[in-house]
Amino acid sequence: MGRVAMLIDTSKCTACRGCQVACKQWNDLEGWEYSKTVNWGSYENPPDLSPQTWTRIRFHEYEGNGRLQWLFTKLGCMHCGDAACVKVCPTGALKKHAGLGIVTVEWELCNGCGYCQQFCPFDIPRLESDTLTGKGTAFKCHFCQDRVTNGLLPACVKTCPPGALSFGEWADVREKGLARVQDVKAMGFTEARLYGDTLVGGLSRLYVLTAPSVAYGLPDRPTYPALANIWQDIVQPLGEIAIGATALGLLLNFLVVRRRIKVEEEE
Amino acid sequence: MVKRTILAFSTAQRFVHWLIVVAFSLLVLTGMVLYVPQLWPLAQGEAGMLLRLSHRWGVIIAFVATLIYIIFDLRGLATSMKRIFTWSPDDMGWLRAAPAYYFFGDDSAMPPQDKFNTGQKLWYLTVVIGGLVLFITGLLIWFGKGSIPAGLFRWSVFLHDLAAIAVSAFFLVHLYLAIAHPMMRAGLDAIRFGFFPEEYVKHHHAKWYEEGMRSKESE
Repeated sequence: MGRVAMLIDTSKCTACRGCQVACKQWNDLEGWEYSKTVNWGSYENPPDLSPQTWTRIRFHEYEGNGRLQWLFTKLGCMHCGDAACVKVCPTGALKKHAGLGIVTVEWELCNGCGYCQQFCPFDIPRLESDTLTGKGTAFKCHFCQDRVTNGLLPACVKTCPPGALSFGEWADVREKGLARVQDVKAMGFTEARLYGDTLVGGLSRLYVLTAPSVAYGLPDRPTYPALANIWQDIVQPLGEIAIGATALGLLLNFLVVRRRIKVEEEE
Repeated sequence: MVKRTILAFSTAQRFVHWLIVVAFSLLVLTGMVLYVPQLWPLAQGEAGMLLRLSHRWGVIIAFVATLIYIIFDLRGLATSMKRIFTWSPDDMGWLRAAPAYYFFGDDSAMPPQDKFNTGQKLWYLTVVIGGLVLFITGLLIWFGKGSIPAGLFRWSVFLHDLAAIAVSAFFLVHLYLAIAHPMMRAGLDAIRFGFFPEEYVKHHHAKWYEEGMRSKESE
């Protein structure tokens, strides 16, 4: 199987949040946020992604086509084609599956530094961590890699009642998304578009949107943080060379000086 | 005849130096693990968390050392700061003459030096400026994660690495000249016991020696 992708058809999503429940069930995540639910003026629940909530439906109100619309954004790891989190992870805990393109966190290796979260163009990973001691672990959606590699659909896709979610080979999913955009446009949603196929190396989470991406709270032009590459590909190797060259220079100095002193003593 | 000596470092300065040695060793050894891919196994999981915690203790020790310096020898600190920021044509002369001296012991072209020679000034400046950059970016990384903008966090991590590389590379030179260079012996004694032999100061730090003579005459 080549690179995989998830299609999120927001024109079909009813915000039932079955995906959130299925995710917690399959991944054995706690629902502690639900026990602390407070009315904060929105049907959204829980209020944010967390170490125990890897996917979540975000609600947006939008006025378009002359009427008020409720837009639903299923959030979670985008599994970027160019994954900055993998680039900056200093423990190798974040990995990108060579074939499937799925980005995962191996928790046993994570030390909680949080670089993945801070370099993520979409602010997705969440840390369970203690600020003072720094102890922690990063969590995020892993596209149910355990299910996918065994021929099953991700738990959220499997459960989605209105069929808003689908999963498959990246190119097929993209084709399906583009075709669906045409259908949705024909229904009168003139602003419909596919989101993600050209961003950050191509996202593996593609959205059929009925309105501009910013109305969904999705960044219009998310960018791979260039600093990640300058840091990892230029400064780090140059730094190692600089320190190595210094050490070599000192060794050379030591040999020259010792030899000179020996010669002088013999004279 | 008693060998005459000149006080180079106060008790507070010597104590702070060795406390910084402890802190710096801890900080470099725990920090480099994140930066050297071959050491990654040490950075992973529980071991990595322990290293990150130790790194924080290193900062606390370095911070306490700095406070001790400020509280117990502010004058010494101020004088040293003034010295490292004072540059003259003799410093350019030192840079030109240094290779001949440090490789071949030829000091014929070496201009007279202050209490800190040019190389020592450069190292001290690297420690002060690098240390400040490391301290500020380090605090942002420690306490700012999630509350400061991601862009600022990214720059902090980047600059922290850059400063760490600069200080570490220069530190190798400092360590080498202190303990391994066959010609250098006086410095290590001075930072341990406080004193330089007068003859040594006359020869290696002539400007400082004259300054001392002048202030003695005026007393």
